[in-house]
Amino acid sequence: MKGMIRILLVFCIFGTLVFGMSAQDTEISLLQWSHFVPRYDEWFDAYAAEWGAENGIGVTVDHVNFTELFSTLAAEIDAGDGHSIVEVLFSPASFIDGLHDLRDINEAAAEMYGERASTCEAASYLPVTDTWYAFAHGYVPDPGDYDIALWTEAGYPNGPRTYDDLLEGGRAIYETAGIPVGIGMSPELDSRMATRAAIWSFGGSIQDENENVVLNSDETIAAVKYLAQLQNEAMTDEVFGWTAASNNQGLIAGELSYILNSNSAYRSLQKIDAAAAANIGFTPALEGPAGAYASSHVWQIYVIPNYVEGAELAAAKQFILDHTASYSDATYHSELYNFPCYASAVPELDGWLEADPWGSEPPNKFEVLKTVNDWSVHLGFPGVTNPAVSQVFAESIIPNMVAQVALGEMNAEDAVAQAHERIEEIFNEWRARGLVGGGE
Amino acid sequence: MGRLSLGSFPLDNRRLIGALFLTPALLYIVLLVGFPFILSIAFGFSDVTVGNTDLSFVGFRNFLAVWENDIFRQVFETTIRFTLISQVFILIFANILAVIFTQDFTGKWFARFIFILPWATPVSLAMIGWLWMLDTKYSSIDYLLLQLGLLGRGGLLSDNRNLFWLAAPDLAQISVIFVQVWRMTPLATVILMAGLSSIPTDILDQAEVDGSRFMRTLLQIKLPLILPIMVIALLFSMITMFGDMTVVYVLTRGGPVDYTRVLGLYSFQVGIEGGNLAQGAAISLFAFPLLLAMAIFMLRTASRAEVR
Repeated sequence: MKGMIRILLVFCIFGTLVFGMSAQDTEISLLQWSHFVPRYDEWFDAYAAEWGAENGIGVTVDHVNFTELFSTLAAEIDAGDGHSIVEVLFSPASFIDGLHDLRDINEAAAEMYGERASTCEAASYLPVTDTWYAFAHGYVPDPGDYDIALWTEAGYPNGPRTYDDLLEGGRAIYETAGIPVGIGMSPELDSRMATRAAIWSFGGSIQDENENVVLNSDETIAAVKYLAQLQNEAMTDEVFGWTAASNNQGLIAGELSYILNSNSAYRSLQKIDAAAAANIGFTPALEGPAGAYASSHVWQIYVIPNYVEGAELAAAKQFILDHTASYSDATYHSELYNFPCYASAVPELDGWLEADPWGSEPPNKFEVLKTVNDWSVHLGFPGVTNPAVSQVFAESIIPNMVAQVALGEMNAEDAVAQAHERIEEIFNEWRARGLVGGGE
Repeated sequence: MGRLSLGSFPLDNRRLIGALFLTPALLYIVLLVGFPFILSIAFGFSDVTVGNTDLSFVGFRNFLAVWENDIFRQVFETTIRFTLISQVFILIFANILAVIFTQDFTGKWFARFIFILPWATPVSLAMIGWLWMLDTKYSSIDYLLLQLGLLGRGGLLSDNRNLFWLAAPDLAQISVIFVQVWRMTPLATVILMAGLSSIPTDILDQAEVDGSRFMRTLLQIKLPLILPIMVIALLFSMITMFGDMTVVYVLTRGGPVDYTRVLGLYSFQVGIEGGNLAQGAAISLFAFPLLLAMAIFMLRTASRAEVR
């Protein structure tokens, strides 16, 4: 009965939109990244073609490197022409004026699947304008990956569970085995996530719930001092030149004792050396003085630019909702890389985490991810991910602040104060545009 | 016998054919240089974002905000420093190589071909190659130094197995400057070779008859004669480097900290990745007055040298 109601609901929402369009003439195009898991793209392209054939709609899917998504979206909005749906990996809040409000499909999905993960909501809804500028369908957990043998030898058989464990155990492993911890401190994605995770877990943040800048706090300073100490005592200078591939390379080569990453590094190792992969364990976000938080690694976020209209717009929305309905396949074929924003859309997930369908040893290796929604947050935590948060992210202000202290160029107090000043400037500019709240 | 008349043919009109020949170059300049330039000025004086391209005029607000930004000032200084240091090396190497490549020796054409490759190779592809060679952990250069005993325990350069080319502040800056010199030297060399080849042989013959030796001929005859061309080579190289973001985007993304962040990269990070298109445009426009003044000065210098 419930299933019938859901089907009826979808029909009602889209019946009026689809009515009158000549389905055979309708075409939609999608732009999305070349997924880190090639199997996912193979599944998705076939799924999209099949969906198009079933609905009498032409579907084209273009894949690009993830670094090109924002620049392509900017160019297409400026040109007023381009793809019907663009999938980006970080909140596209700064594009909000050029995007359709997707309140209808967000509400329809919530009606069908219930509560969405908070990390997804904060990356697609802007309270200050009350706009659903995007539809987030998935996110990627960013757990800790550790070398089981090394950490067992150091007295932590379940890996580090707190930031104190990471410092003490990581330092002991580095001193005895010469293998460092790998937490990036350079202007790149993984470093931006890792440094934020520590700041949140120490009780600091860039902004508060009301979008006021609060970076310059004792908690942030303590986190920065901690990270500098961690770098000086348990890591090498390579972390100042970290790239998106460094985690993966180091883990696969057995040259890092602990990293923060999605499951992609582990999956790569699994395909190369199953025995070495069996030696990798996962931890949830590390516990700090104020709790355990880690940013989601990336998000899968659909947007529809304003230039998409009429039957094309209706078809694009229908595609997004139907794709969410197929999220079990999406999660499965991404080798559990994509986690669903709507947990009920993938009822098999807990079972897969207990027994990895992709052959992990032991099979319950990913079981720690059952608690992911308790600790996986978003870039603007504890507020929302607004355009100012996105610009702070793009300018790499946070990892650079930490690196300055770790390199001994500044003390933590001055580095945090300097970063706070720049972030305040950015927030004020976006606030003047009416896209950031707070400021009173 | 009367002249054979072919009748009037439109392409016989010198004005028309002149205009036709100029049209592609003019179209290129107007559409691919002029229009984006005007657009970036309009963006710089507006409140445009990646999502909202309405050009509402805000005066100098973006430029003032950019100037007050400490990161921008450091980026601006880094860009000027990298450009100037690179040009010194490019000028020295290009002069030496131009002289070598205008001499006769076996395998000259092959050597020229190999030498031009850094400039002819797509920059992003070349940078990926350098990224591999300078990798913080798996650098082939480090591997070589390790085999020679210069790295690792008791090594002359470091006890570590790596030098961290792109992670240590000094080495990262040296690496970026080195790669820029590697990339830009061939163009400057080719321009200087053209200049050396255009020196009238009678002048060189006269010098030889008068007993002028190699260095004297080079320093007192050849270099002064190609000075205008040298200035043009330098100008090309400086303008290209000042606006470039590809090298640092691929190698360091501006790190460690902000040590290698240059104007083009920062403009992209703020304008496109950060969504603040107006400020991104304002950042890039800060280069314009400086480059314009430099171009005027250098072209006047070249012109004066030519007249003499």
